[in-house]
Amino acid sequence: MGDEDNMSIRMEQIQPIIDREYAYLMAEHARWSLTKGDQDLELVAHALRVLLHMETVPQHPDEYLALVECQHQDGGWGKMSSEKQSAAWVTAFCALMLIRGNLALKHPRITESVRKCVRYFLETQKEDGKWSDPSWADLDAVSHPISFFDVLMALSPTVPTLVDAATMAKVKDSWRKGMAFMLERQAADGGWYDPEFHPTGVEITAHLIQDSIVADMVLTDEFNVRNCCRKGVRKLLSVQAADGSWDDENVDHTMDCTRSIMLVCSILGTRAQCDPAIMRGLAWILKHKCEQGWPDFPGMETNLERTCDGLDTLLKYQAYSRPETAAIVKLWGYAE
Amino acid sequence: MIFLAKVSEIPEGERKLVKVNGVDVVVFRQDGRFHALNNACPHRQGPLSRGTVEAAADGSGCFVRCPMHGWKFDLATGDSHGRPANATVYALDRRGEELYIES
Repeated sequence: MGDEDNMSIRMEQIQPIIDREYAYLMAEHARWSLTKGDQDLELVAHALRVLLHMETVPQHPDEYLALVECQHQDGGWGKMSSEKQSAAWVTAFCALMLIRGNLALKHPRITESVRKCVRYFLETQKEDGKWSDPSWADLDAVSHPISFFDVLMALSPTVPTLVDAATMAKVKDSWRKGMAFMLERQAADGGWYDPEFHPTGVEITAHLIQDSIVADMVLTDEFNVRNCCRKGVRKLLSVQAADGSWDDENVDHTMDCTRSIMLVCSILGTRAQCDPAIMRGLAWILKHKCEQGWPDFPGMETNLERTCDGLDTLLKYQAYSRPETAAIVKLWGYAE
Repeated sequence: MIFLAKVSEIPEGERKLVKVNGVDVVVFRQDGRFHALNNACPHRQGPLSRGTVEAAADGSGCFVRCPMHGWKFDLATGDSHGRPANATVYALDRRGEELYIES
């Protein structure tokens, strides 16, 4: 696909791909559904996010209730649904899917499950504001609970009975500490780095700008969030390869960057600056999909989790293409 | 024993991906030594064949860093430097100019 083609990705191109890939994901139901047995919960959460963005949650209440079934007493989940030890990252991903799925399902058991998630995060936050997870960098482990609290706070006017006022005050305090932990660790060039997990900083920067931008909608500008996000976007744009990919043709990270920039530039009002990079990223993603699904890197076999990410990216691009900013903000759960 | 590759197919500092009984095995040649690892990172199954090889700061050897989320593994032992799971390492047998692993 040449540069001139990159700039003209039309909805007529996107919709048939979404339809086909969604049908493929449904055909692979047994590989990701908790109703079929023990599953990798990160994959489950990726699939549930697709259901959310396809607006098919009401047809699949069992998928969300099955996730409630394997929640631990402490409010968390493990990497596998059968695993007994809770972990912060996957718990936040599950919590996000439940709180958002329950907007459609309005099921009391899911409501109670979300409350348990809130307690889990309030009880496991460290003194310095972070959450820890041995499988992830601290900045990863803090970004997901912050994202869950972002959504909880955004939805609190819509679902005022979800948590009581005293709990919400604790959530806001916890969120503020977590947000400070994140924002204080941004490097001068706009990126976030972790020498152990993220030397290039690409994936973590993509995650953190989309989590941080919410603070701009909620807080007075005590953290100078707009500036942090602007710098973060500039950093990502500066390291995009000429072919449109990020991180040495990493499909996951290219999807992360493309989606995140769509959200942040929509809120910052900098679409004109970011559109070419978004289009190049999207064109690269489309070019490197397998016959069914997406791989981790070009030429590899299809990976179901990446396929969910690919679908999510296309659905977010559809929302991004609508004139109202709220359309894309909604797909992060930051607005109803 | 299962044939993996000819020595000449893997220049110093390079790696080769081979499918063995349906499993992707990546063979690294580093500092004159060959190492065979399961290609799937035990974290999120990222392809170690796309990882970067770096020397350990203490000079104790080399590790490969997974390109997905940065877990790193000792090429010789698969040790993950404190993460919850190690990479699977296969015993290599060099016979002249050919490399084999046990079936």
